[in-house]
Amino acid sequence: MIEKIISPKELKHWDGIIDVYWIYTSGEAGDKFFKALKEDGKFIAAKCKKCGWVYFPPRMYCEKDFSETEYIEVSGKGKVKAFTIARLDLKEKELQDPQIYAIIDIDGTNGCIVHLLGEVDPKDLRHGLEVEPVLKKKEEREGKITDILYFRPIS
Amino acid sequence: MSVGKRDITCPGYAPGTPIKDEDIKLKKVTSVEDHPDIRYSWSAGQAISKFLNGLKEGKIYGVKCNKCKRIMVPPRMFCELCYKPIDEWVELKDTGVVQTFSISYIDPDAKPLPEPIIVAVIAIDGASHNMGIMHLLGEVKPEDVYVGMKVKAVWKDEKEREGAITDIKYWKPI
Repeated sequence: MIEKIISPKELKHWDGIIDVYWIYTSGEAGDKFFKALKEDGKFIAAKCKKCGWVYFPPRMYCEKDFSETEYIEVSGKGKVKAFTIARLDLKEKELQDPQIYAIIDIDGTNGCIVHLLGEVDPKDLRHGLEVEPVLKKKEEREGKITDILYFRPIS
Repeated sequence: MSVGKRDITCPGYAPGTPIKDEDIKLKKVTSVEDHPDIRYSWSAGQAISKFLNGLKEGKIYGVKCNKCKRIMVPPRMFCELCYKPIDEWVELKDTGVVQTFSISYIDPDAKPLPEPIIVAVIAIDGASHNMGIMHLLGEVKPEDVYVGMKVKAVWKDEKEREGAITDIKYWKPI
């Protein structure tokens, strides 16, 4: 065996910071979506003029046939497609109240959204549960996905 | 513009939506921004620590495996071919041969450099074939560099050395 370094002072290491910063704009269709959400509390989807596929969130062009789309209004209601219950936060600390994340198929569209579920007992969760969005008050909305507080079951 | 036999209705050229800094500041367009605080601490380990401490003394250390007889640099604690611990440390010369090089006109932020830098992989004399360290070339014009050029390390003053790869300022032609 060869001699090894024992003194920690002789063992080297590097400290560094990766300095990154970004602004991500929503794009034209995304801008339309977020402004409608902020100003009117409405949900916008985009329908392909040719094949009729309905994109949610909206897109400017159809990904399938490259045709133009037209914006349509949808209710924002939907059905739970999948869900998971988070009991730890990003730093792995235990959450006082577990958070429920779900993929929600939006009614009248071929798209879905990932968001939180609220006002629901985890025991009542099931695939296909019908839910509706709960928005922040208009004056608190900033045109971000967090303008939707969560989705709750339609009672 | 065509994709397969599909009938395309969108224009071949989409003008895009130019935006200004002002549009974001005044929130004319929706956006999200983030300033993630990404930090790291990278441990050099046994072999590289000894290598770096060697640089501080003006020495280039390699390791030897007595089974495959290879002399490896940068050093490592295990021979990856024989899958066994290495057998001994060896001191190598501070001369070598350019194995490959690249002339860079931009810095890491893609900003133009006043003078181009020449990055090269240098095979250290005394080490086995296919062993090299990446470093800078200096005191040579970009057009004069060639693969196979013999070079020698130009060290920082002993007092300025800190046990880093930058303790060698660059390599100059012999």
